[in-house]
Amino acid sequence: MSNSLDSYLVLSGLLFAIGTFGFLARRNAISMLMSIELMINAVNLTVLAFGAFVAPLRVHAAVIALLVIAVAAAEATVGLAIVIAIFRNKKTPLVDEYDSMRD
Amino acid sequence: MNWSDIGTISPVVIAVLVAAAVLVVDMVAPGRRDPVIVTALGGLGIVAVAILIQAGRSGSAFGGAYSLDNLTVFLDMLFVAIAALTIMFAADYLEPRGLPIAEFAAVLIFAVTGAMLVAGSTDLLLLFVALELMVLPGYMLAGFARHDPYSTEGAIKYFLLGSFSSAILLFGLAYVWGITGTTRVDGVAAALATVVATGKIAPGLAMGLAFMTTGVAFKMAAVPFHYWTPDAYQGSPTPVTAYLSVGPKVGAFAIALRLFVGALGPLKADWLPVVIVLAALTMTLGNLVAITQDNVKRMLAYSSIAHTGYILVGLAAYAGGEQSGLSAILFYGAAYTFMNMGAFAVVTALQRRPGVSSQIATFAGLGRRDPWLGALMALFLLSLTGIPPLAGFWAKAYVILAAIQAGGWLTVLAVLAMINAAAAAFYYLRVVVYMYMREPTGDAAPSSPGALFRTGLAITGVGTLIFGLFPALVAAAADAANVFHG
Repeated sequence: MSNSLDSYLVLSGLLFAIGTFGFLARRNAISMLMSIELMINAVNLTVLAFGAFVAPLRVHAAVIALLVIAVAAAEATVGLAIVIAIFRNKKTPLVDEYDSMRD
Repeated sequence: MNWSDIGTISPVVIAVLVAAAVLVVDMVAPGRRDPVIVTALGGLGIVAVAILIQAGRSGSAFGGAYSLDNLTVFLDMLFVAIAALTIMFAADYLEPRGLPIAEFAAVLIFAVTGAMLVAGSTDLLLLFVALELMVLPGYMLAGFARHDPYSTEGAIKYFLLGSFSSAILLFGLAYVWGITGTTRVDGVAAALATVVATGKIAPGLAMGLAFMTTGVAFKMAAVPFHYWTPDAYQGSPTPVTAYLSVGPKVGAFAIALRLFVGALGPLKADWLPVVIVLAALTMTLGNLVAITQDNVKRMLAYSSIAHTGYILVGLAAYAGGEQSGLSAILFYGAAYTFMNMGAFAVVTALQRRPGVSSQIATFAGLGRRDPWLGALMALFLLSLTGIPPLAGFWAKAYVILAAIQAGGWLTVLAVLAMINAAAAAFYYLRVVVYMYMREPTGDAAPSSPGALFRTGLAITGVGTLIFGLFPALVAAAADAANVFHG
């Protein structure tokens, strides 16, 4: 179990679950952004685990992981820019207080 | 990669160049509005020509990752039309607020490039990257008025839930790739066909399927994954809302076609019940909440959720064995584009002067203050309701007909769709009542919009009428674009 595909899939599944929990439980926009990064990196671990243990997937896995890293970086850039923009308007990073449109 | 690959994706390449050209033009003549608009609209015209040259051809590029077929052509044309209309409506709105039109146009065209890439991608990885190219500029556009608290608030909600759902979708894609061993859509379909033949779906595959469904449902704003929609639509600058309500939505359905029909087609008996439940919840809840809204932008946001539900009925009809469900989805996407963009354009026209709210009171007496604008808004709202002989009637008729032909539980879904369409009349017609039967409140009538804006309004209005009077024309194109026969 210790060095098998299953153990890595369980690990990455747990990381993904932690990320999901963080996203749902945290109220700070920056923490939520970090949780999303954790989820995406859990996916990367899944991809690399498949690549490491399933021989025909090895080349694919590296390419997929690189592209996912690039996409995650682009997403973080846009996300941080939006967080900065709203922080200037609202003076708080807490998403609870972004409620001016609630009906 | 070789030159014929580049030829196959030429519309996408040209669209990227157009976006870059817009930025260059703005650098040469900073802050000038007309050169930017001419470049953007002219460039989109060239893209449209490049797409139409490819009409009727089929082929693939990059080893099968991208396919060119009638579906790609149909959706690409739709996306180019969406981009052009958005630019026409945006100029008059952005200028009084001091927002830069060049950056808006460039970001918008990048987003549409992503959508065009989604339409043609037949590879899970390309599909994901194209999806991100479509939604990331969308987040930027939502927060485009960065000093406006509403705009940034809409943007952050859109961004957080959007990237959350992207991560979920990606997790599902990783599992489907890991278990089927390929990222090509046809390869996945072939692998799944053998899985179905042996009769046992591996737990990993079931999990991947569930995560993918959730991710796509978020993107198309299906209930219960719709929470970002009202705030993102209400907060965004109105022309951006017009774009968001059609561009990423049609894009999400393009993903559904390529992913669920193309790759997961062999498993359709397994995802059919999920789509039925999603469709029923989405149209019912969207309509129920829309009834209570006093803000027209927010009302149209909930109405767009309801329309997602109707389109899902078409997807369910396909999974129930009725091929025409997919053609109905495409027809609905095209009809919805014109009538919904038109409705948002009228809201944009009223809000050109900064500070005018999108509350329903703004519409009081519009029929007398500005008869043309009032008549057009009435046309769009009646079409959204589904009154014959307008575009929205045929759109609803085709999906409902497909569902009835599929039979079984889908008949129940079709009846529910009809009840919902009738209930929706209440909140659409309420705006019409305000326009024609209430005295105008507040100060003077808004000055009439510029020539470009009026052209855009005319296109949406004529589109809504043509689709309604001659539905066979578009239905034939949608039928040809349904490449999933057999």
